[in-house]
Order: sequence, then structure tokens, then C-alpha cells
Amino acid sequence: MKSLLTILFLFNAAVLLARQNCSITLSGKVQDESNRILAGATVQLANTNQGQATDAGGHFRFENLCKGNYTVLIHFLGYEPVEKQIDLNANKELQIALTLSEKLLQAVVVEDRATGTTPGTTTTLGARVLNETSGKTLGETLQQISGVNTIQSGPAIFKPVIHGVHSQRILILNNGIRQEGQQWGAEHAPEIDPFVAENLTVIKDAGAIKYGTDALGGVIVVTPAELPVDEKTGGALHLVGNSNGRAGTVSGLLEGSVKKLKGWGWRAQGTLKQSGDSQTPDYVLSNTGFREQNFSLATGYHGTTKGLEVFYSRFNTTIGILRGSASSSSEDLALAMERSVPQYTTDFTYHIREPRQEVTHNLIKINGHLQRGRHVWNAQYGLQINNRKEFDVRRGAALSQRPALAYTLYTHTLDAERETTLSEFHSRCVGLNGMIQDNNKIDGTQTLPFIPNFRNYSAGIFWIEKITREKVTYDFGLRYDYRLYQVAGFNFQNKLYKTQFSFGNVTATAGTTFKLTGPLSLTTTLGSTWRPPNVAELYSLGTHQSAAAIEYGLLLDEITSQIKELKGSSVKPEHAVKWVNTFKLAQGKWQAELSGYINYIFNYIYLKPRGITDAGRGPFAYFRYTQTEASFLGADASAQYEIVTGLSVRMSASLLRAKDERQNDYLIFIPSNRVETSIRYEKKTERKREFYIQARIKYVARQTRAPRVVAPHQILEAKQQGIDLFETDTRNFDFMAAPAAYTLGSLQTGYTVPVNHTKLNFQLSVDNLTNTRYREYTNRMRYFANDIGRNISASINFTF
Amino acid sequence: MKLNSKFSLVLLLAVGLIFTSGCDKDPEPENVPEEITRVVLVFTAPGAAPIEVVANDPDLGGPQSMEIGAIHLSAETNYTLTISLYNGYYSAADPAYNVTTEVQEEGAEHQLFFSWSAGVFSSPAGSGNIGTSGTVNYADEDENGLPLGLVTNWTTGGAATGKELRLLLKHQPGIKSATTTSADGESDLDITFPLFIGE
Repeated sequence: MKSLLTILFLFNAAVLLARQNCSITLSGKVQDESNRILAGATVQLANTNQGQATDAGGHFRFENLCKGNYTVLIHFLGYEPVEKQIDLNANKELQIALTLSEKLLQAVVVEDRATGTTPGTTTTLGARVLNETSGKTLGETLQQISGVNTIQSGPAIFKPVIHGVHSQRILILNNGIRQEGQQWGAEHAPEIDPFVAENLTVIKDAGAIKYGTDALGGVIVVTPAELPVDEKTGGALHLVGNSNGRAGTVSGLLEGSVKKLKGWGWRAQGTLKQSGDSQTPDYVLSNTGFREQNFSLATGYHGTTKGLEVFYSRFNTTIGILRGSASSSSEDLALAMERSVPQYTTDFTYHIREPRQEVTHNLIKINGHLQRGRHVWNAQYGLQINNRKEFDVRRGAALSQRPALAYTLYTHTLDAERETTLSEFHSRCVGLNGMIQDNNKIDGTQTLPFIPNFRNYSAGIFWIEKITREKVTYDFGLRYDYRLYQVAGFNFQNKLYKTQFSFGNVTATAGTTFKLTGPLSLTTTLGSTWRPPNVAELYSLGTHQSAAAIEYGLLLDEITSQIKELKGSSVKPEHAVKWVNTFKLAQGKWQAELSGYINYIFNYIYLKPRGITDAGRGPFAYFRYTQTEASFLGADASAQYEIVTGLSVRMSASLLRAKDERQNDYLIFIPSNRVETSIRYEKKTERKREFYIQARIKYVARQTRAPRVVAPHQILEAKQQGIDLFETDTRNFDFMAAPAAYTLGSLQTGYTVPVNHTKLNFQLSVDNLTNTRYREYTNRMRYFANDIGRNISASINFTF
Repeated sequence: MKLNSKFSLVLLLAVGLIFTSGCDKDPEPENVPEEITRVVLVFTAPGAAPIEVVANDPDLGGPQSMEIGAIHLSAETNYTLTISLYNGYYSAADPAYNVTTEVQEEGAEHQLFFSWSAGVFSSPAGSGNIGTSGTVNYADEDENGLPLGLVTNWTTGGAATGKELRLLLKHQPGIKSATTTSADGESDLDITFPLFIGE
């Protein structure tokens, strides 16, 4: 049942829970009779809406409780449930021991709410994991979840991939707001500082329905901690250093409450990061440094039945792209790929030159909630201002100072919903979402704009129903979305075009969780969702410097490249049907999960090689956005076994086969199969000192399900003989064969000491332990250079 | 319901806030100074009319390839080749139309490389300096005294048909030196002309 409760975490993202105007903390630890820690046990406070799953250390913590009598219910599959009556006057710590159950488990009723998400398909990374990976980017952190990978562009750009799909097909909810940046680019990473998050949740089923279109592959939910109420000022300081890239990170947090205004809390948080060039085992990856400066401010009021919160965050980064990856013709690309050491490799430096990206993302959010009887009303407004500039290597010093691509994207979102508890077993949520986007080029790039200026008006309404029965939970959801685009851009002759068009469609999901016999549960969800094509997919025009390829959008005429109208064209929205089945087992020393899925995407939009053009810089492969039918069939499995107290082994594997069904071909950049094994020992002493050490081995198989290879030199040779390789054979292709399989080892250890009322935590880790030379198939840098070598990372975390 | 009306008010305010932003002005077109859409080769020999050969991109940034004219030279003649580069996104009256000047000014980070069907020229001999280490008779240089290639000297050999002359303009910011080759830097221009040498 822990999964049902992870929904509550999820909920924090979109909604503020109704909170009491009180300040007592009830915490504790759940173990079994032989002191084995029980992680993932559910702990509920009856008569309140609060429930939690215990963390990896078996801990739970309820804050801001009022004085009074509480009933605490503790459940864990395979154990007898425990019910404890507590008279709470002051902070209290509980030690709870569960006894193994021989008989069939009783059905557990958890009061959770309708989110349109079936619990079996969510995975949460909690505070402990986030602490152990502090200093990494969002995408890199999420890779720990099986079924989640990344598309990388060098050492600093990680774009999350869920079950093989990415970019526009994944929704990221940052503090409850749809993250809206220039997500169309494969080298555009999400603009989020992971230090903001208290936990990260990935929903892997389609159409997590509350959040709107686009969630074909899943949803990533970034949830900050709730604001403190009636607590003294506290905070945290994190210092992280990495040997590879000689990188340093400082992140601090300060929070407290306003004494004179009961219920008001505040938080200020900031992060500074700087990294120089990363290093492979043999050479420096020149111009792969990056810098980040982020901060966030929040304040809010929480009363018994109402609450209001204001949040502001700013994310600012400069990221270097490997200098040797910039090429401006197929010949340049051929030469760059043949080099054993990339061109322009120099000594280590912190200096970042072209090509580079400069990205700023601002988020302002205001949200409130109100409880009246069985209803909870929630409303939130968000404004995001995203500014992206990409600097290419250009002719002349003056032009190099100008970004070759520069856009400002304003996004307003408005969400309102009403949750209703109809009975102990039945809840309902209805709501509406509105969004207005305004994308404008920043004048002065002195290039043809890659995507046009546009205005996007979107509106959606949804209805979600959740019914809990003794052994079964049902979720149903339905939503309708409408989107209107107004577009004004320039064609390849630099002539203005303007147009307007709209899309509308329905999303539906149904999910159910069964308790099977014994400690087993089965969740099955079926979702159908859609997304309108993005403006970049419709109108892209231009060259990607790192791929030496020209891209043309869906609405550019095949022959003349002139802009076509959507009406009368064959362009359709993408539709996905995703079916996920998850078995969960939790018995004694075993915890296991097996999840199988199929995601069939109709009208799947992708870049397809279409031919060779020669516009004066030598032959170029050009790609057109094209629609096909794609299927993603895969499985994620994980199992954990506790050998003796404190010592556990864990194995996880993820398998995926993605196909272009119309052409009976494979898709490019699909993560290959991988297996990870880890062994972890942890110990907590009586004086509350904690220690852990962990060793991990990751094996990544070669991607054998990759499209054919057409190397740039083959394109050149064919061109010389007057042959167009793509004239008749328009199968997908890759410039280089998939790299070999590789194995990476890592070691990690941490130690936590309580000092008075503060906590000091030290971590030391070594990644790529053996300094292995390897290339990852989904890292776009693989065409030019090896991946990064050994990295030793040390961090100090101080919580006060 | 009291509650509903309160919330409607908040909603209304928020919606109002959204709709007041932005204005509907057409975007301004960008200048695109980096494009080279027209290349003109002029071969001059003493006592003869200059020979002009043009390569032109008919649809600028569109998918159509360059239309490349053929070079017709006389046998056993000394020629000076002058190369001019133009950007068809500008009108001929605009100074930005002529890219040659810009390449000249930034000569320290540019070099033109040439290759041709082996033996077509008696000087330079060989087949050029693209991918091989042959010589080219550069007649101009950058501020560091290194060859640039907008002006070059050629002596044709005997009659030949179906031959080729390729020119490759490389951008080598910060790396151009006496030892950099056609494999260094990024290509700004890469065109292969058909070449005929008459009696």
C-alpha cells in the first residue's frame, strides 16, 4: 500500500494539503520483531487526511499536529497491522514493532484522494536518495529509477526519458506548475534545480490526467518541502566537490515562521555551481564546463481550513558544448567522428566559449486552498519566463558574441479544482486548466529564426473518480483539451508568414489495483492520451551545429519548402495508448516489483532522414519531421533482499524495444537494456549516528535494436558519384554504429552525526571506479568523444 | 454559494491578469550576414577576356542545391583566379551583399583550400591541398603572412574534359597557422566546379 500513499507526496505538488494551525511533531520508526527496518510501511493518522510511507530507514514524521487524541495505524504487507492510541501534548517519538502475519492480509483502507494516477506506476525518490546524489542535475538524479533514462548532450545536459519517450512527451511539474521552456530541443535540459525538491516522483502511466496534454510517456513531479509553521528558524547547507571537472556546488536553505502571524512560514534557498571541462580517461573534453546560479523564495499561510502561498524561483545557467562537436558540413562531421581526440582539445579550463547555452527560467506561483465541508477548493496561478540563448561558432568575432538562437517564452497557467470526499471509499476531483503562451525571438541573432514566434491558448477540463473497495481500488479519469496556435515566422527566404489553427481532443484513463493472495498486489492501468504537435515540429527550419544536419518542420512543403497551411495537410496530433501492469511483492526480507508496459503512439512525430542538399557548404543530410506509428514495449524489474540486518542487495533491470511500426524499423536514441546490482550496508548506533556504504555495478548492453548506419563519409562518397542515398531508401539511420556494451562500478559511503540539535552528514563517492573508456548510446557526444572518466565526489551537509 | 462567488472573483482576477499581457506586432526580419549564396570565379589571363563562372543558390536556404556553372579554360595558359562571395539575402546595393570583404578582413581565421583532378594544371602540379599536402599558388595573404586564397595563380596543362575543381573555405578561429590543413576548422563554403580545358 505504500504506493497509494506516494500519491500524497504527489499531491503536494499541485495542491496544498489542509493543515492545522498547530505545532507538535509526531515521529517514529517502524521495525519488525527482529529489528529489521521496514521501509515503505504506511503510517496513517486516523480522522485526519495524513498518511505517509516510511523512508528507507523506516522513519516517519508528522509535523504541525494539534494537541489531542490520535489513532495511529501502521500497515505493512505481510505483517499484522498495528493500531495505537496516542494522547499528544508534546513532540513524541514512537518505536513500532510489527509481527509477521501468517494469514491473508486484511484489506487496508487508505484515505487518499483522486489524482487520476494509479499508484502502482509511480516511483518516488525521497530525501535520503536526493541527499546522497546532491550536486547532480535533475535528469541525472532521476536515472536511478528503473525505466527512467536520459538523452545527454555532453556531461551537463541531461534530458529525462521515461520508457523510451522524451521531450514533448513528458510533462514536468515543478512545484505544481507545468514546466514550460523550449523543450523541443534534444539538447535542452529541464531548467530546474534539484536542491529545490524534497522528493521527486515519476508517474510512468500515460495521461496522469490532472495535468493536461503531453503526458504520453509520463510525468515527473518535483515537490519542495512544505513551509514550516510555528517552528524556529532552521536550515541546511550543502557543499559538494567533484574531481572530474573540478566542480564545486554550494547550496543553502533557511526557513522559519513569522512569530506574530500564526501560520505564516517562509523559506529562502539558493544554489551556486561551477564546473570546468570534464575529462575522459585520456583527454579533456574542451568547453564542457558549466555554471549555475539558482534561488527560490517562498512564503505562505496555513490555517485549519485555508491556505495561501507565494513562490518564486529563478534558474540561471551557462553550459558549454564540446567544442569539437561543432561542424558545418557532412565532411566536417565525418572528420570530427574519425578523430581519436576531438578537434580543439586544449588544457583544462573553467572558461566557457562557443558553442554554449545561456538559459534563465523564472517561475512565480500563487496558490490557495479552502476547505468547506466535504469539499476542498484549490486554485493556482503560475507565470514562467524562459529565456534561452544559444551561441554557435560563427564567422567573425562580432557574430560569435551574438546568440544564433534566442527566444523568450512567457507562460501563464491557471488551474482550479474541487475535490470532494463522497464517502470513506469514494472521492472525486473536477477542475479546469488554462494556459497562455507567448514565444518571441529576441531580435539581433542575425540568423533565420529556427522556430517562429507564436501564441498558444490552451484550456482543459477534467473529472476524476476514485473508488476504494476491500481488495480493489479503481481510478477513472476523463479530460478534454483545446489548443489554439497563432504563428508568425519567417520562411527560408526570410519572408514573413502568419497563420492560425487549433486542436481539440479527449484524454481518458482507467486504473485498478488488486490485492492478490499473500503479499502480492497487481496494478493495471490503461490510458489514452494525446498531444498537439509542437510549433518546433511544425515549423523548424535550420541547422543544428552539433549534428551537421538541416531540419524541416511538418508544415514545410516537401518540394518547395514553402509553409503549408495545417488545414488540408496530413498533420495529425499524436495519440498514445499506454498499458502498464505492475506486480508488487513485499514479504519479510524481500521486496520486489515487476512492471511490464506497452505504449503505442499513433502519428508519432520524429525526424526522418530525407535527402542530401548542398547549399554551398558541402553536402548536408536533411531531415524532415515525419509521422509514423511507434510502439514501445518494455519491462522494469527490481528486487531487494536483506541478507542480515543492515545488509541488503538490490538488483534492477530495464528492457525496452521501440519500433517504427509503419516502416518495420527501429527508432534512434532508444536506451539500451541495462542491469544494475548494488550491495549496501547501513548501521545506526544508539547515539543516533548513521553510517552506510554501498557498492554498485551497472552493465549497459549495446543497443542492437538501432537503425542502419549511414556514415557521413558514405554520404560524401555517394554524392561524389551522383547518388542520393535517401532517394529511395528512407529508412531511419544513424551516423555511427551504437557503441559497445560497458560496465561501470561505483562506491559510496556516508556518515551522519547529530551535534546538539543539528546534524552533520559526510558523503564520499567514486563513480566510474575503474576509469573505464566508454560511450553511451543516448549521449549525443558519443559521435565525437568518450564519456567522462573517474569522478570522486565529496560532500558535507549540515542541517540545523 | 458564498464560497463559489469568492473563488470566481479570484479566478476572474487571475484571468484578467493573463489577458492583459502581450501585444500583436509582427516580428522583425533578421539580417543573415553569414550566408554565402553566390560565388563568382574570375579567371584572367593577359591579353584575353576574363572568364567568369558562377555558382548560385536559386532558393537561398531552401532544399534546392546550388546551380554550379562549368569552368572552360584554354590549355597551357597562365591564369589569375579571383574569387568573390555574395549573400543573396541582401540587395546588391547593400554593403553586406559582398561577403568577400568580410573574409578578407578576417583573413587570419580563414583559408581557401583547393583540389582538382590530378595533372590538370602544370602549375601547381599534383591534385591540391584538400585531404592531401599538395601546393597551391596563393597570391594573397592574411595579416600574419599566411595564405588566404581569394587570389591564386594557375597554369593549365593540356586539353582535358570532365575534370573538376573544388574549393573549400575553412573557418579556423584561433587555430589557423602555417600547419593547419583543410581538415581543421569548419566549412563556410565547399563547391565543386566541372572543369574543361580546351586546345
